[in-house]
Amino acid sequence: MPREPGSKVSATVESPPPTIPAMELAVEAEGLVKQYRGRGGTVDAVRGVDLRVGVGEVFGFLGPNGAGKSTTVRMLTTLMSVTSGTARVTGIDVMADPDAARRRIGVALQEAGLDPRQTGRELLVLQARLFGSSAAQAAARAQDLLELVDLVDAADRRIKGYSGGMKRRLDLASALVHEPEVLFLDEPTTGLDPASRLTVWEEMRRINARGTTVFLTTQYLEEADQLCDRLAIIDGGLIVREGTPAELKAELRQRRGLHVDPTLDEVFLDATGRTRERLAGEVREVSA
Amino acid sequence: MSTVQQASLLGGRALREALRTPDSSIPTLLIPLFFLVVNVGQAGKIFPSSSTSFLEGQSYAAFQLPSSLLLAASFGTAALYLVEDIEGGYFDKLRAAPVSRSALVLGRLMAEAAKSVVITAILVVLALPFGISIASGPLGFLLLLVLTSLWGVVFAGFMQLIALKTRSAAATNSGGLVFFPLLFLTPNFVPRELLTRPMELAATFNPVTYVMEALRSLILRDLAWAPLARGFAVLAVLGAVMLALNVRLIRSYD
Ligand SMILES: Nc1ncnc2c1ncn2[C@@H]1O[C@H](COP(=O)(O)OP(=O)(O)OP(=O)(O)O)[C@@H](O)[C@H]1O
Ligand SMILES: [Mg+2]
Repeated sequence: MPREPGSKVSATVESPPPTIPAMELAVEAEGLVKQYRGRGGTVDAVRGVDLRVGVGEVFGFLGPNGAGKSTTVRMLTTLMSVTSGTARVTGIDVMADPDAARRRIGVALQEAGLDPRQTGRELLVLQARLFGSSAAQAAARAQDLLELVDLVDAADRRIKGYSGGMKRRLDLASALVHEPEVLFLDEPTTGLDPASRLTVWEEMRRINARGTTVFLTTQYLEEADQLCDRLAIIDGGLIVREGTPAELKAELRQRRGLHVDPTLDEVFLDATGRTRERLAGEVREVSA
Repeated sequence: MSTVQQASLLGGRALREALRTPDSSIPTLLIPLFFLVVNVGQAGKIFPSSSTSFLEGQSYAAFQLPSSLLLAASFGTAALYLVEDIEGGYFDKLRAAPVSRSALVLGRLMAEAAKSVVITAILVVLALPFGISIASGPLGFLLLLVLTSLWGVVFAGFMQLIALKTRSAAATNSGGLVFFPLLFLTPNFVPRELLTRPMELAATFNPVTYVMEALRSLILRDLAWAPLARGFAVLAVLGAVMLALNVRLIRSYD
């Protein structure tokens, strides 16, 4: 059912923040639209998204289920055609030169896409070779990555027998074979236990510290708060908030006249038109 | 890296996959052998080699062998593995690599060619006790391997189209059932000139007929260029159509 998404609130100055000069954008989208056309009619999954992510940032992309996060990620990573609008990663138009874009980006999708019949090492070696490494380079890179994500012991076992957390970590490693400049992670910690989640956070921080831009979607607002320099909230295919976590909280605090900063949860609920009060009201209506 | 190199990397992985699921190759060997035994058991007595001119002095099993070889090459398991890749998301990981889109569909077909050569060779060896010999000699045997595996590639390629289009194992499986009309609307029990008129007509329009006749000529006779040329020509046309459609489909894959 279509909800009325909150109107777009720019928490900072209008248009791009001056801290990100045009040349240093890692991800840039203008008027990005995706319509799925199927037998059941068309679905407007993404309805005109503008994004600017600076080089070296950890950028959070939040939104409720079905908001269009994965669809946006798939368009930005050349995996899905763009209905209209433009998208550039590290200045390269993803539609005009998809292979050049692919060399600069790594992507771990929401459903960890792994081949159960290969071993972890084989999968990494193949991925590295597909990105152009020689056999020797690929073997060395696979070993480094297996160490990075702590899978050395399981490296020569079939992926079929990996736990959910191991699969996630292998998926993350496979996105890194070619040392991408921008790493797209679609809900990398969903379904992980708290310890594995912390491990993935650590890895993300380490990857980012080496200069890789991280574009992260997540359902966990605490995760976004901890990790992200800036974030955008998408709802119903449109961006409804954008800014640093602190800016977004300050804006809501000011608008509501609160005495303490709200949590990012509250910012999220406000942005997606799902205030605690309204949710409580709906519950009451239903139970009445 | 060239498209062929990329495709062979992917083909290598597809072969590894086949080696790790040996159970999936067992029916590919057993069912064609079963048909050979059953068909020869049922019709062998009608066609004694001494008095049946179209057998060219060989046993009826030799006449039947091409049907079994083509059946073995028409299992299309490659397409089912592709559906698994798509459903499991691994196909997206491969698509995220800067490899030519054609390599993504060619890899499995290269693996299919290799698999078909091995399976065909094994089947021929297993068929030797039935009193079959390849009358056209070693070169003929080589051509037989090439013809059969080209058919295997063409069939797998068309199945792959269904897999890419529907992304569903059920649909791909049912698509594979076309091999029934393809393999049975052929002169598989007797030569074309002995078929009833409607059957002969159907067989004439069925491309598999020409592959079967080419294989049969290699087994029963010395190298005969006319049936071979027809067999290879049919495979070349089908192969070109199959490749063009695969490349088109993968380019617009969303
Ligand atoms: N292949 C598809 N065909 C038709 N509609 C689709 C398809 N994929 C996604 N959608 C629809 O597009 C919208 C956005 O989906 P998307 O997967 O991008 O959301 P999301 O924000 O990633 O959600 P989640 O948090 O649940 O992962 C949803 O309404 C979804 O039903
Ligand atoms: Mg999603």
